[in-house]
Amino acid sequence: MSLLNNIYNQLRISHKYVNRLFKERSCYISTSPIMRDLMEFFDDKKNWGATEVKTGRSWTKDDLRIKSNTDLHKLWYVLLKEKNMLYTMEHEHNDQVRLFPSPERLDKVLDSMENLEEVVRERNRAYYELETTEIGEQTHKTITGPFGLEIDYYETEHSIPKEVNAQWQKEQNTKCRPEDVKSFLLKYKEKEYLQNKKQQRRNFNHVIGLLNRFPKMDMEALKEQYPDVDIEKAKASRKYKPPLVFD
Amino acid sequence: MRLTQILYTKIGEWSKKYANLPDRYIKRAMEQVYWRNPKGIQYRPNTVVKRKKFHFTLDRPWSAQFAETNSPGRLHPKVFVEPIKKWSFFRGDRVEVLVGKDKEKQGIVKYIVQERNWILVEGLNCKLTKLDRGGVKIYIQEEQPLLVTDQVALVDPSDLKSTGFEWRYTQSGEQVRVSLRTGRIIPVPASAEETRDYKAKGLYVEQPKDTSEKDLGEVTFEPTLKTFEMEIMDQMGIKEDRIPKKSYWY
Repeated sequence: MSLLNNIYNQLRISHKYVNRLFKERSCYISTSPIMRDLMEFFDDKKNWGATEVKTGRSWTKDDLRIKSNTDLHKLWYVLLKEKNMLYTMEHEHNDQVRLFPSPERLDKVLDSMENLEEVVRERNRAYYELETTEIGEQTHKTITGPFGLEIDYYETEHSIPKEVNAQWQKEQNTKCRPEDVKSFLLKYKEKEYLQNKKQQRRNFNHVIGLLNRFPKMDMEALKEQYPDVDIEKAKASRKYKPPLVFD
Repeated sequence: MRLTQILYTKIGEWSKKYANLPDRYIKRAMEQVYWRNPKGIQYRPNTVVKRKKFHFTLDRPWSAQFAETNSPGRLHPKVFVEPIKKWSFFRGDRVEVLVGKDKEKQGIVKYIVQERNWILVEGLNCKLTKLDRGGVKIYIQEEQPLLVTDQVALVDPSDLKSTGFEWRYTQSGEQVRVSLRTGRIIPVPASAEETRDYKAKGLYVEQPKDTSEKDLGEVTFEPTLKTFEMEIMDQMGIKEDRIPKKSYWY
């Protein structure tokens, strides 16, 4: 009996110890003021089943430019938690076959996060341009791709210089047969040319249609909207039949 | 080529003013993507097949009715919309109807569809429609759209008669609508700025998750010769003295 008691006591003590340890640790893990554990992934209970949740606008770049780096760092995590919460709620609503109220909240948070990132990058770019005359970001350039078309090439980080990087060299040299590229480009450009031509013709005919329907139209506005259409030429077309205007 | 395509599907500023929704949401809500290019090496990367031409009606582009009108495979006859230089009819404007059974009557603009040059005038140009809801017949008066180009005219506030108008600049550089008949300024009503969330910007009621006006305007930025990461590391007491291995960017 005494042995059992001893084991039980030991277990209890160890359990207590673990509990205490966990409590101490958990203080370090979460820095948020209100501890709601996993329920932080869910919206406030007042908003459950609501048809609309009102919110303000998103953070603009001008709002963020006057904030210190620490503030931006904190705000980022506030937004991130909000985003996680909204995604969870959306998923839950979809699961329950309900309508997610005010889905534009998600777009407001995403807009804010994009703006915040852009402001941080602006600051870093300023620092690097001042110190190293480079922007300190991944650079990209326009190169001719394997199909003979111009593509954006984003430079990446490597541990060895490109002169000795056989694999990269091989990747760069994979090209289609020149004669194939030539015939592909010919057809590609023909298609592009015909598309442009079709669009021009469509615009031209549309302008004639507008002229036929609206004889008192503002010509400047028309010119502004269809800059590539020659209006004099459109009026000379046989399709141009304006209605009689009695004033 | 692309410019005109954008013009066709662009949502007018005054159509979306009242709803006060972010553009990103409107784009997401009305987008109909049928096919996206798979990732990887493609001769045309990021190609998307989606609906380009939308048929605009009185329904807002983010509504379910709009999606129904523009559901995949549904086509509509081409609509000719007269180009306008500057939109001049706002919510709360007093206008005179020039056509239809309510000709020469005046009313207040309550709804704008800029994509079609349409406005709805409160209580005018109505159509009686009969709804049959489970044996119960309801009759409702529904306003029908009016073209801003030739079916309505603005009302001069000085003598309450319809007039033509022009956009002119005041001495302070402000653009105003001026009556062509009397030369008086037709002010833009305060309700033009009204949205679902507030009557005027100053009257906005703060919601629990909003940042207060004072905190928003507070300037806490102090320029230092540090990157964002360097400053955060300094403040958190993170020291990094490992020297990274030499790397090559290409």
